Amino acid sequence: MSYFNYDISPYSPVKLCFIPFVLLVISLVSIGMMWMQTGLPISPGIEFQGGISLTIVTDENPDQLTEFFSGYPLISINEGIQGSKYLKFGPMDDALAIEFNQKVEKKYSGAKIDQIGSSFGETLQEQATIALIISFIGMAIVVFAIFRTFVPSAAIVISAFADMAMTAAAMNVLGIQLSLGTTAALLMLIGYSVDSDILLTSRVLKRKGKFDEKIQGAFRTGFIMTTTTLGAILAMWIVSGIGGIQIIHEIATVLFIGLVFDVMNTWLTNAGIIKWYVTEGKGRLSTSQRGA
Amino acid sequence: MDKETFVDMIKDYRVAFYLVLLIASIIVIFPHPGPSGLETNLQFGLDLDGGSWIQLEFQSAVVTFKSDRTLDKLIPELKSRLDAEVNLIDQNTIEVRSGISEEELRAVLKELDTELVSFNPGVTKETADDVKRILENKINSLGTKDAKVYVITGLNGISRYIRIEMAGVSMGEAQEIVGKQGVFEIRIHTTGNETEHVLFGDAIQSVANPSQTPPNSNNWGVSFVISHSAAEDLRQAAIDVGATRKPEGHNLDMILDGEIVYSAPLSPDLAAELQSRATTNLLASTGVGEEGREQARLLEIHLRNGALPVGVSIAGSGSVSPELGDQFKFWSVLAGIFALIAVALSIFIRYREPGIVFPMVLINSSEIIILLAFATFFMQLDLATIAGLIAVLGTGIDQLVIITDEILHEGKVPSPNLYLKRLKRALGIIVASAGTVLIAMFPLAVMDLSTLRGFAIITILGVLVGVLVTRPAYGRIIMSILSK
Repeated sequence: MSYFNYDISPYSPVKLCFIPFVLLVISLVSIGMMWMQTGLPISPGIEFQGGISLTIVTDENPDQLTEFFSGYPLISINEGIQGSKYLKFGPMDDALAIEFNQKVEKKYSGAKIDQIGSSFGETLQEQATIALIISFIGMAIVVFAIFRTFVPSAAIVISAFADMAMTAAAMNVLGIQLSLGTTAALLMLIGYSVDSDILLTSRVLKRKGKFDEKIQGAFRTGFIMTTTTLGAILAMWIVSGIGGIQIIHEIATVLFIGLVFDVMNTWLTNAGIIKWYVTEGKGRLSTSQRGA
Repeated sequence: MDKETFVDMIKDYRVAFYLVLLIASIIVIFPHPGPSGLETNLQFGLDLDGGSWIQLEFQSAVVTFKSDRTLDKLIPELKSRLDAEVNLIDQNTIEVRSGISEEELRAVLKELDTELVSFNPGVTKETADDVKRILENKINSLGTKDAKVYVITGLNGISRYIRIEMAGVSMGEAQEIVGKQGVFEIRIHTTGNETEHVLFGDAIQSVANPSQTPPNSNNWGVSFVISHSAAEDLRQAAIDVGATRKPEGHNLDMILDGEIVYSAPLSPDLAAELQSRATTNLLASTGVGEEGREQARLLEIHLRNGALPVGVSIAGSGSVSPELGDQFKFWSVLAGIFALIAVALSIFIRYREPGIVFPMVLINSSEIIILLAFATFFMQLDLATIAGLIAVLGTGIDQLVIITDEILHEGKVPSPNLYLKRLKRALGIIVASAGTVLIAMFPLAVMDLSTLRGFAIITILGVLVGVLVTRPAYGRIIMSILSK
């Protein structure tokens, strides 16, 4: 069965990579600008910066809340469904934070208060950065170890990098901050995004047959893989949004964005590079013997 | 599928192992009806059960230095300059129990002709364990049922944070418990069971770590220093009740929150000394061997009156009310179910063949069951872990699709030989992508990024269970079904 045809035979590798390349450049510029502003490629949330987040259910309007919390470093108020409010505060010292907790607990039963001190936030930030870098390098090593040929391996690593960069830029545009949840999602994305790339590369390098047929076969499998995963994530996104589960909602949002970019980067960027490798690069003569 | 192929299929080691594991998992999770609906052996974290966590940061640093001065001169000098406790760990490492910054300490050390080599905020593992013991004791003595204390130790072996999790306790209560000091009192026996007040915990000025007196005698005890006025009170009381002349029958009781934690008579030496003058240095001996040592440790905590040997500040805290936790539980289960339905729908649209869709969905959901069973042994389920489970669901189905498509290549069901060759090739692709997920998640599993550890561990487990057990079994099952 077929939905639409994935046929890249009329397009040259350069044409295939053109759109992703332009998007990647725009993304890198956006990330760079954020980097200069905040010192991080994605704007850091409370968990990485220090501060207090507060979830309460109340009929009060934002003005009343601002009034009630005057004297505390209130940053923002977000309204959710059924009167739930999500408030963010800047860092407070221990004494003020304890006073704040008591004040909140007295007035709002069932409040969810999360506080992260600024030095703890810095520690988390450092560790998250290290985790992301190690993960990415580790992934690259595994990919190179599997395929043992430079161009196909590099193609996978480049498309994974493009996924991350574009997702990060999209997060900046949509105002999604870097939190523990979104860091986890970005890490997960490293794993997810190479899934379809590995499929594509294995099929093209290991199977016998015409390049265009092999890549179309890979696309049929890869596309159903990604849509299924997108389906699961979309369900997770909707339900956690309604239920107000912040961390799962954040993870789902970032994964969703990342996987959409992954479709493009796998079937344009990676496919383009591998097409060049098979048709014009050095792999032309020995495709059937190459690869692991 | 006829009976014979079915029996053959089950006898295949891949399928058999998968089935055994699945059944064992259901037994381990043990779903059974209980007073509050369906109960299982699953353990839930704070964000699903309600409760509070507080993360404390030690006001201390582990410092290595280079100095020409002798240590027995340098350390006391440093102590008085900083007005803080300084512990020597080895020849050129000290633990400075003060919230001093690196620059400040460097300046102080320079004045003492000492060069600061490295500065790591935190305490040694030993000190952190002391603090953990004290906190556990304090929390338990206050009757909080379900508290856990974790020391968070970095890769360099230095502990910077300690995390306390208390189920079913609100933030305010939690902060009170952690900050609260017990009431400590020493009383002396007068006649019979009658006792008389001697001093309160505030008179205790310092407490040493458990030690052996004389050294290496295996005779354990804790020495502590009391204030001058309390020393006078003690002397007076001992003389009044006649304990200086006849120590037996006039035990000194140490009482914490109304409970006697230590009771012993004055030693003959101390009795004689008190007869002539007051003394501020006391030693409570606790006996010999390992038991004496354990007793000494407990007593140290009691004498410290619940105060920690190192200053701490609150690095972070959070709380979820039980109602909100229940709500999260409900919605996350729902999210999982809907994710599974979405998965089933999209593969049905693709294959239109119940014989493929059913095994896929069943294998996919049994991966989750097996993971939950693993989780009962060593981890609590929290929201991040559940997100990990749903992510496993997503990658799991991806890989089942790869297997199916690889086998059904060119739309024909292959001969058994060709079949196994293709299954092997599909598993090759799967192992490759599993390898990358493993590597990507590895840093999170070993680092301590708060709640993300559970997420990483469950994802890694999911990949392993999938690659080693369920996906090979699926390959075999789908073969039997397709060759009907």
